[in-house]
Amino acid sequence: MRVYLLARLAQTLLVVFLSFTAVFGLVRLTGDPVLLFMPTDIQAKDVDEFRQRLGLNDPLALQYLRFLGSALRGDFGESLRYKRPAMGLVLDRLPATLLLAATAVVLTLVLAVPLGIISAVRRDTFVDHAGTLATVLGQAVPGFWLGLMLIYVFSVQLRWLPTGGTGGVSNLVMPSIVLAVFFAARITRLTRSTMLDALGEEFVLTARAKGLGAGRVIGKHALRNAAIPVLTLAGLEVGQLLGGAVITETIFAWPGLGRLTVQALLNRDFPVVLAAVFVTSVIYTLINLIVDLAYGWLDPRVRVA
Amino acid sequence: MRELTLLVAACLVLLGVMPAGAQDRIARKEIVVGLAAEPRTMLAVTIVDWTTNTQLEHIYDRLLDRDAKTLKPKPMLATGWKVVNDTTWEFTLRPGVKFHNGEPFTAQSVKATMEYLQDPAHKSHYAAYWKAVKEVQVVNDYTVRFVTDKPWPALIDRVSLTDFLVLPAKALKDLGPEKLAQRPIGTGPFRFVEWKRDERLVMERNPDYWAGPAEISRVTFRFIPEFSARLAALLSGEIDIMKDVPPHVVEAVDRSGRAKVRTAVSSRINYLALVTLKPGPMQDLRVRRAMSHAVDVDELIAKVLQGRAAKICGPLSPANVDYAPVDCSRYDPARAQALFKEAGVDPTKLQLTLDTPSGRYPLDKDVSLAIAAQLQRLGIKVNVVVNEWGTHLDKIKNRTTGDMFFLGWGPAIFGQTVMEPLFKADQTYASYGNNKLVDDKIARAITIVDARGRAAAYAELQKLIHDEAPWVFLWQQHDLYGIANHVEWSPRADEKVWMYDAKILAR
Amino acid sequence: MTRRAIGVGLTLAVIVAALAAPWLAPHDPARADFAHGLRPPGTPGHPLGTDQLGRDLLARVLYGARLALFIGICTVAATAVVGGLLGLVTGFVERWPSAVIMRLADVQLSFPFILLAMTINVIVGLGLRNIILSLSAAGWVVYARVVRGEVLSVKQRDFVHAAAALGAGRARLLFRHVLPNVAPTIIVVASLQFSQFIVAEAAISFLGFGVQPPTPAWGSMLAESRDFLYVAWWLAAFPGAALALTALGVNLLGDSLRDSFDPKLRV
Repeated sequence: MRVYLLARLAQTLLVVFLSFTAVFGLVRLTGDPVLLFMPTDIQAKDVDEFRQRLGLNDPLALQYLRFLGSALRGDFGESLRYKRPAMGLVLDRLPATLLLAATAVVLTLVLAVPLGIISAVRRDTFVDHAGTLATVLGQAVPGFWLGLMLIYVFSVQLRWLPTGGTGGVSNLVMPSIVLAVFFAARITRLTRSTMLDALGEEFVLTARAKGLGAGRVIGKHALRNAAIPVLTLAGLEVGQLLGGAVITETIFAWPGLGRLTVQALLNRDFPVVLAAVFVTSVIYTLINLIVDLAYGWLDPRVRVA
Repeated sequence: MRELTLLVAACLVLLGVMPAGAQDRIARKEIVVGLAAEPRTMLAVTIVDWTTNTQLEHIYDRLLDRDAKTLKPKPMLATGWKVVNDTTWEFTLRPGVKFHNGEPFTAQSVKATMEYLQDPAHKSHYAAYWKAVKEVQVVNDYTVRFVTDKPWPALIDRVSLTDFLVLPAKALKDLGPEKLAQRPIGTGPFRFVEWKRDERLVMERNPDYWAGPAEISRVTFRFIPEFSARLAALLSGEIDIMKDVPPHVVEAVDRSGRAKVRTAVSSRINYLALVTLKPGPMQDLRVRRAMSHAVDVDELIAKVLQGRAAKICGPLSPANVDYAPVDCSRYDPARAQALFKEAGVDPTKLQLTLDTPSGRYPLDKDVSLAIAAQLQRLGIKVNVVVNEWGTHLDKIKNRTTGDMFFLGWGPAIFGQTVMEPLFKADQTYASYGNNKLVDDKIARAITIVDARGRAAAYAELQKLIHDEAPWVFLWQQHDLYGIANHVEWSPRADEKVWMYDAKILAR
Repeated sequence: MTRRAIGVGLTLAVIVAALAAPWLAPHDPARADFAHGLRPPGTPGHPLGTDQLGRDLLARVLYGARLALFIGICTVAATAVVGGLLGLVTGFVERWPSAVIMRLADVQLSFPFILLAMTINVIVGLGLRNIILSLSAAGWVVYARVVRGEVLSVKQRDFVHAAAALGAGRARLLFRHVLPNVAPTIIVVASLQFSQFIVAEAAISFLGFGVQPPTPAWGSMLAESRDFLYVAWWLAAFPGAALALTALGVNLLGDSLRDSFDPKLRV
């Protein structure tokens, strides 16, 4: 087991390192960062001086090594735009995004999984069809559009909910729903289809033949097997959830990491982009590790030792 | 059934924790301003950024302010100024002013501020603006002199903008810039309370403000990046003021019964640059003049901007203190055709590329498309390339834009900030240059101290540039502010959004 | 099954709209008519209204069907081919190059999809071709993973062992035996990804990177409609409805395809 964990950890480090390098290259390819954080009416030679002082005139490889060196010590440099440590900015915003993502995940688990199960068990009934419609629409409607509609109805017309920002539970409602919709739709459909698969399996038929009650069959046997693909998807999607938060956070003025990353990218603030990507990839690979370990618990055949 | 009850209960609970509504704010005389971005630092004279300075100006004061109507310099922390000699300006400072921590404002504060921003270790953007200042001399507690290395008549213009917000000398020395950036201390009408990053900045009234305490007791800046969400916040009463309401929405806001739109003619100009700094049809003066007659600016203003722009005919607008009127190039397709013919160019065979940003200036993309449609009437094919903002700037700098590009410039309050950066070939954002006559005249104009001489020089320069047709001159933007009905506040042409001037109307 | 019927019906409607746009559209979708900006639906000559520059909305929605199909098909084709091939190869050949490729896929997956697409567009620029490029570059990974999983399991099946025992070469095994069994999965995933990509186009337009006017794409039309939400609801409603219905249709189609490929679900 320990060997497996160490191997996975090594792989994680590799992945994080590779994504760090790839992003460094990508972001530096996006062009001159200095132009965007300096005022437009400054003389060209003054801008050059700035560039020189920030070390941006050095060859790219040298800049990369320098950055990597300090990153290994935890120092991701200073944000070009805010003149504050880049990692500090990222860590400041992380809790807000985690809160939003966690709420979305909880909503999904509480609503989508049961819906998927019920749709599978009561296949081709009204619930199933309604569920399908809801899930397909959930994937067909762009998140920003849904968010703006919700704001229009619930904030402007009804005044039930605030348009954005943080503060209380009411601020969390709309953003987490918008974030969850896409994710939940996929989870529902996947749960439904894997449950259908599982329910058709021989061991289930055997269990029924043995006289076991429907609830027990579903809960103990079918669900366990259905869980694995759902868990895989969930693990994959969490990374995307952090990315989908970009749009939700922008619309609802939620002070999260996604928004910070997008703005940093648009402002060519590459220390912040790198710090953000680093944090995101660490979280993502950790979650996948947990998912893989959970496989073992769910399905003895897959035990990973 | 149980679920329904739970749902209703939850809603009631949620309603109970709603943030303070507009009514509470009116009673407590508080104001919330919605901005698209947060400030980049809380330390003055460090980063040049409109959003940052707009908010900082509530905490810090300028040395000189600008009159809201005439935009001419007027006393603020300095009560008077005079030119001692060609390279020395003297400012008389206001006595009895205190910083928020009790520290007195004196000539030392001014000197310390200049030293801070000029120190390369602090990497302040403002160092480049104040390069010409050799030293700041403290004559006595309330008199200070700026000594420059060359005559710099525009110093008075610089010092009356946000380019010189005064820092507290002792606090700067004792606490250092980093600590001061976290709890800023200034002489302004509002004191710093808290800054929740990417969410809101809160400040409260400074009761000891030298010009008398503000009527508003508390100002909150909320950062809402998505425009329609900001508008929703205005319409739902969550914010009281927002900037940049698009022209089409003005009626809807006015009709909403919650807010109204007020306009200020901005000093910020928009223009279509005709690129001469790389080989192309625009290098021919006649082609450029033809373009000036081929674009119907009045139609653009009326139809695309809903009348919300003020046409300009030269590089400087009436809001600019160095403005002098020039003749307008009228929309005249026949004349355009004649000029094209003279230049040996067949417009129906002409293919041009127009680079434009999107969402940076009011309806910039739509205006560019409309210009393309207008040029199409003469048979010219225009390929409109939409760029992301950073890419747009990059292209301009690298001279890899097409034959034309759309850009805005401002605040353009005095002539030097427009002429110098935009009409000389070695400047980053110039589209025109390599004209020795223009270079010389610009170099001369910025050193004339005598007001009459300066006005004459700039007038000549504007006529010269107008005749060179380096741009299709478009307009001054109208800044459209959405203001809640219970707030009384007038927007200014220099884009200063200052809550000291705001009042709450009693219901 | 009604599901299939609806799916097929909607998809066909979109295809017809796309093909017949030049005849069905009352005006040129790119023609700006400043005098008639922001007209509501029902205006004579403009059944669905006009946008801010006076362009006819019905024409733009119809031509938008072309863009939707084009973007969808191109991105799906690109990602299916690249991702599918990589999935086939890495699933079949279990040596270290496969591990490297899968780690690279992991690297990419740890990067949020939208952000990656955006970064690519910042580098290469905006426009239709570049959108397809960035969406494809960000989207191939799903195929690779899914196909690889399928290949791994199909590989174990008896008929493959039998063919190998009979002396079939690796390439032959891969393409004549494994691929046909994996093909249904690829097709199903393709149909589901199609709608995802056209919705992703809307998301990336929201961030400012979409297809630029005057080219009519539903996603970028939706994104632009934000500015006019309170004065011209039709600019958001019709492209939005078109987008949703198309995604709905293709999704249902994909669902029913998956059902028909899966023997266990045949009733």
